[in-house]
Amino acid sequence: MKRIFIDQEKCDGCKNCSFACMQAHRQTPGTVYDLDLLDPKNEARHSIVTNGKGGYVPVFCRHCAVPDCAGACMSGALKKDPETGHIQYDEKRCGTCFMCVMSCPYGNIKPDRVSRTKILKCDFCVNDKEEPNCVKSCPKKAIHVEEVVWEAAV
Amino acid sequence: MFESCYGCATCASADKPLEEFIAKLPMQTSHHRVDTQETKCGFGLQGGCCRLCANGPCRITPDSPRGICGADADVMVTRNLLRAVAAGSGCYIHVVENTALNLRNTALIKGRMKGPEALERLCRIFGVNGKDEYEKALKVADAVLADLYKPEYVKMELVEKMAYAPRLKVWKELGILPGGAKSEVFRGVVKCSTNLNSDPVNMLLDCLKLGISTGIYGLTLTNLLNDVLLGEPEIRTAAVGLRVINPDYINIMITGHQHTMFVHLQERLTDADVVARAQAAGAKGFKLVGCTCVGQDLQLRGAHYTEIFDGHAGNNYTSEAILATGAIDAVLSEFNCTLPGIEPICDELLIKQICIDDVAKKANAELKPFVFAEREKLSNEIIDAIIAAYKQRRPRVKMNLMPDHGYENTLTGVSEVSLKKFLGGNWKPLIDLIVSGKIKGVAGVVGCSSLVSGGHDVLTVSLVKELIARDIIVLTAGCSSGGIENCGLMVAEAAELAGPGLRAVCRQLGIPPVLNFGPCLAIGRLEIVATELAEAIGIDMPQLPLVLSAAQWLEEQALADGCFGLALGLPLHLGLPPFVTASKVAVQVLTEDMKNLTGGQIIINSDAKESADILEKIIMEKRAGLKI
Repeated sequence: MKRIFIDQEKCDGCKNCSFACMQAHRQTPGTVYDLDLLDPKNEARHSIVTNGKGGYVPVFCRHCAVPDCAGACMSGALKKDPETGHIQYDEKRCGTCFMCVMSCPYGNIKPDRVSRTKILKCDFCVNDKEEPNCVKSCPKKAIHVEEVVWEAAV
Repeated sequence: MFESCYGCATCASADKPLEEFIAKLPMQTSHHRVDTQETKCGFGLQGGCCRLCANGPCRITPDSPRGICGADADVMVTRNLLRAVAAGSGCYIHVVENTALNLRNTALIKGRMKGPEALERLCRIFGVNGKDEYEKALKVADAVLADLYKPEYVKMELVEKMAYAPRLKVWKELGILPGGAKSEVFRGVVKCSTNLNSDPVNMLLDCLKLGISTGIYGLTLTNLLNDVLLGEPEIRTAAVGLRVINPDYINIMITGHQHTMFVHLQERLTDADVVARAQAAGAKGFKLVGCTCVGQDLQLRGAHYTEIFDGHAGNNYTSEAILATGAIDAVLSEFNCTLPGIEPICDELLIKQICIDDVAKKANAELKPFVFAEREKLSNEIIDAIIAAYKQRRPRVKMNLMPDHGYENTLTGVSEVSLKKFLGGNWKPLIDLIVSGKIKGVAGVVGCSSLVSGGHDVLTVSLVKELIARDIIVLTAGCSSGGIENCGLMVAEAAELAGPGLRAVCRQLGIPPVLNFGPCLAIGRLEIVATELAEAIGIDMPQLPLVLSAAQWLEEQALADGCFGLALGLPLHLGLPPFVTASKVAVQVLTEDMKNLTGGQIIINSDAKESADILEKIIMEKRAGLKI
């Protein structure tokens, strides 16, 4: 499976990845010039936080081998795709319990501030043929995609 | 209102009671937004980003060392620095232009000149005379305006008269004597536009040139013209902090840098008919509450208007807290620092916003452009609007005062003239103290407060404590003054925090170890002090055991001021780099090569103790150079 790897030493906190994620997941099509940076509907599915020592920690979905989020999901909205190994979210099945938000060990999953009934989670840009948009946009190559061996979770 | 706090993730402040007050406020302030703006763009911070053309933004990385046009980091950085310095210079030149125009207009109607001695001094420096004070003031104002309006290819005349001769020689050698100050700003912005100048050193020299016109005109002369119109500073003590706000009055918070624009209004506010109107509305009268640099300016000259001025409440990033007390009925703005963030607070607390200079127009403010000939009408309209706001808001708004904040007996009114007078009419006593080593040297701690560098005033205040503990006397000008005084370093008791030598001096003279020269404009006064000290000793300025620090510089204006410091050949400390570190050339020139050009240098360090160590070392080297 493909996974995003993070080299936090390289991260400059420029948030280009966040901009790219917002653009990739916006609801109405458009160019980067008309992406509404103030619209909470456009929120990125990851975070860049400071490490308190002058550097940054990119917090991206790890698409874990044993995903705590999917394990905590009672409604079956979060499932590991048996082919790609990515954890995908089906908002129609979501029961709004936010247990995934509570259980993600990286603090990656965000509750959707607009509907308050959904979550925002990385889908690995499943509809794009190339690598995820965040990875493509990083000027420092602080995030990159690697193929890893995945053994089906127990 | 005031039932719950907006959010406690506010930034730190050197002023702990203020930090606590802001954390509990029910509305958002700049201090709340630091948290959500914490993640910064690394390219922007280093200056390695250019968006001067449609090919951009181009950013410098190991894989892309040049922008699409070919500009490297040195070009990007110096172009952006020159843009910032030109803009900053433009701000100060706007201030001195209006000040000179107001002096001119006042002279034409034979209005009151409260600083006759200041006028005489200016006449002597300029070499002008007149049959009475009005003619003299007119000639002084005209001399300044004539220089400001010269084209770039005609050198300004007063530079030769104002500058210290050894400096003038250096500036001539470097070819950085400025032409007309407004034209220099124009040239600066042309030079750094798309695909024009790409010589980083040439642009850095232009920054120095803009520094000279900013320093001599925007800073020094603005003070001296203000002294003529408004009266000279007199040393005295006054209350500072949020304690100065008295809810029994109709309170007007003033923000800006152009005191001469509201002199008429200020005088009307104490006229019997206006006071009677305030009383009819239920107040005891009107008070001006000092905020930002114009507040410092009023505090500095407070001896001349004790009735109307309630005291200086706080600096730029204290303005939101001042409004949040609920006791401010109107904000009168004429320049920066009038934060955009005050608008929602004014809306919520029904505070009337009035702007008298459209360069600082706030979205929700009523624009009442100051026109000298219409000042009577304008003042009356402003008074009507403020009384109406007072009546409307006071029954609806709850007070959230901070009567214990700040200090009662803060020393103020220090200027190059009042300090020399205090020392007995010459600088010898100070020079003797420096020679004897009781005072190791002088540090001018100037500039703004920013909310980075540890938080509001954090680096500034801790640096000042480190410096005075090392027997280095501190002179301040700018918003830094507001923070330092609200933290209690400008009361006589602060002598306890000084090193043994400086402490003894302070106790003997009954002064604090930090002397407040007032607004950022008064950086010009500090530089007169530095010049006069150098002159009295018979040396050039880079030899003086004197350093500058704009520890928490905020704005483009601060960068223009800093360039004046460098042109004067003084070491200048900054807490954070001015978006230049992507350029090896800029860093080399500003921190090292400048020593051979003007004698100045920039020191960048965000740790108070380390910065003080470096500044102390420089002072000790300069002392050694003078064999003291």
